[in-house]
Amino acid sequence: MTTKRSALRAFGLKPALCAFGMFAGAMPAAAQDTTLTYMLWSPEQVEIEAPAIAAFESAHPGVTVKVQAMPPADYWPRVSAQAASGDLPDVMAMSSGFVQEWAAAGNLLDLSPYIGDSALDGYFTSAVNIGNIGGAQVAFPQNWVAPVLYYNSTAFDAAGVGYPNATWTWEDFRAAAEALTVDENADGTPEQYGYWVYGRYAHTDPWVFRNGGRYVTADGSALDITQPAVNALAFLASLVDDGFAPRPQELEGVRQQDVFGMGMAAMWVDGSWNIDNTRKLVGDTFEWGIAQVPMGPDATPETAAAYAWADMLAVTTDTEQADLAWAFVQHMTGPTLSAADFTAGKVPAWTATAETEQWLGRGQQPDNMELILEIGEQPLYTGFTRNWSDWRGYAAAGSGGLNGELDEVFNGRKPLSDALAAATAYGNDVLSR
Amino acid sequence: MPQHAPRTGARASQSRLAQRPARWKHWLPALLFLSPAIVGLVLFRLVPIVWAFVLSFTDWRIFDDIVWVGFDNYIHILSSPVARQVLGNTLWFTAMYVPGVVVLSVSLAVVLNNGLRSSAFFRGAFFLPYITATVAITLAWRWIFSTRFGLLNHLLDMVGLQGQAWLADPAWALPAVAIVSIWKDAGFYMILLIAGLQTIDPGYYEAARIDGARPFRRFYAITLPLLSRSLFFVLILALIRSTQTFEITYALTNGGPNRASTTLAFYIYQNAFVHFEMGYAAALAYLLCFAIGLVTLLNFWLRKRWVHE
Repeated sequence: MTTKRSALRAFGLKPALCAFGMFAGAMPAAAQDTTLTYMLWSPEQVEIEAPAIAAFESAHPGVTVKVQAMPPADYWPRVSAQAASGDLPDVMAMSSGFVQEWAAAGNLLDLSPYIGDSALDGYFTSAVNIGNIGGAQVAFPQNWVAPVLYYNSTAFDAAGVGYPNATWTWEDFRAAAEALTVDENADGTPEQYGYWVYGRYAHTDPWVFRNGGRYVTADGSALDITQPAVNALAFLASLVDDGFAPRPQELEGVRQQDVFGMGMAAMWVDGSWNIDNTRKLVGDTFEWGIAQVPMGPDATPETAAAYAWADMLAVTTDTEQADLAWAFVQHMTGPTLSAADFTAGKVPAWTATAETEQWLGRGQQPDNMELILEIGEQPLYTGFTRNWSDWRGYAAAGSGGLNGELDEVFNGRKPLSDALAAATAYGNDVLSR
Repeated sequence: MPQHAPRTGARASQSRLAQRPARWKHWLPALLFLSPAIVGLVLFRLVPIVWAFVLSFTDWRIFDDIVWVGFDNYIHILSSPVARQVLGNTLWFTAMYVPGVVVLSVSLAVVLNNGLRSSAFFRGAFFLPYITATVAITLAWRWIFSTRFGLLNHLLDMVGLQGQAWLADPAWALPAVAIVSIWKDAGFYMILLIAGLQTIDPGYYEAARIDGARPFRRFYAITLPLLSRSLFFVLILALIRSTQTFEITYALTNGGPNRASTTLAFYIYQNAFVHFEMGYAAALAYLLCFAIGLVTLLNFWLRKRWVHE
């Protein structure tokens, strides 16, 4: 029986393979058969990004990009386990809410040495800064989002109220919310509320930051809810108490992102990524637009901040091909992606793509998408810290933390001061662990 | 006879020695065939159980270094208001779920153990929720419990009663989770109890009827005592299951509002796979294990007093 080894010897193939191996070793890295691993949390995004990935593979002969995607609930446990075993992908999607702790754990490569002076030109600077932790550029933005004020223009016209604008004060907002609350059959339950709010971060925190408020200390090591933050939350609670917004428990069972689109509330603050869902839900039922969240009375030029965050890509410290990984990050965040590769309301980090007519959605609602780009030019604040999802109450932990406490306030079951005291105690316990 | 005893003993010993290789030959193939299962059990069950116990004395955020913290996790759990609230919720859920599911499943089993052909259909119908995807049935229940558009509040309104925010009111959220859990699991326990009922000799019932015993008396004097072994088994299963409720909580209330329906299993999940506090989650899991063990031991001790052997 002839073994493989003896067959190689018999046909004189071994020296030939050795020679080929030496030749291959002398070739540039990109010409070898190389696999670049890339993980992301949106399975839908894989199909969208497929052409861009194919373009990268064409530009780098011999390189294959192995993509793996899973829903966020599975993504973070999976990549965490991989981090523990030193088996992270070369490139991974990174959230603004997790970048701090991932950077602190030393899992993300500092891209600063790879980024030349001109590499940042063309990107939204504020979005790039979100991935800069302690001077190290540990993640690079692919897109970014910002909460905006959605308003039902048709309802505003019917109530004879002017549309929200940059000069609106909180009192203007309250007056509009009151005028827009309509109880047609006088049964005590308005068919249309002026506003819709609950304890979710994207509902309340834009008001807090636009009033110059903060939840955490400057170094993010402890919760210290400032008076402007308390005032902003008290203002929102008063809208609910006055009946201009529903108690959250009243709408239990309705998807929160559908309340505005179903015409149950005439105004709503949430992330710009909801534009896509709202477009589909509203259709031609009514006219609607977006505006900036009104600035609060306590805000100063130093403290007022817009709230925005980015979906980013990061090169991990487990990679053995950092140059190639960085090239891939540049490719997947820059001009290669077209406006069609982004869900409506998710702003491409590459400025020129965001400014195209296609992304601005001409002929569709809202007709002032430029407003989101203006937010990106303002000073931004995210308020993210380590363990943010725990103390803030987010996703699978959304029933607790500050979210859970604020819902108790909006449902009229707890005074704001008690709720904030409980949230602070819990948050500081989390941050001290 | 004493003088023969050593010789007999020596013969027995020689005999045992002679048998030893034979036994070894007998066990070797069995061990070889069982080894994949044994290795799997040790690697994927026993080792993680022991490792989780060790982890419960550490601070480990999955990709950070493991730091030995002694009893800190256990002390923190017992002193944390949130952990105490979760433990209280778990006890309250058990107090609702166990009696609820046992009473309902016994009632269904007794009613459907009548030998009628239609009973087979109803047994299948009541068993169906148990084998249906939890998330699917929970989404249906979310709609039923919806405050403004829910079926339950609509029915209450029709009879002039005030509806509730079933899933958003801390007073009702955990009972709502218990109701759905009881509804889902009752069919499974019903099947176990029907099997127990069918082992009861019908002659007892005939004799009782001749003696003039009414249905309730027959149930109390014959069915319950003779069903007690099955009931004991169901009770143990229900107790353990009540501490492990997760999927329904996750899909129905997400543990809210403000953790009012967060029970221990869900809290362990949050700490382990949302916050990645592996050491803390392991300590919580061992507290749960200890509590289940204690209650099960108590049950076995009480068994002598009410289980008909």
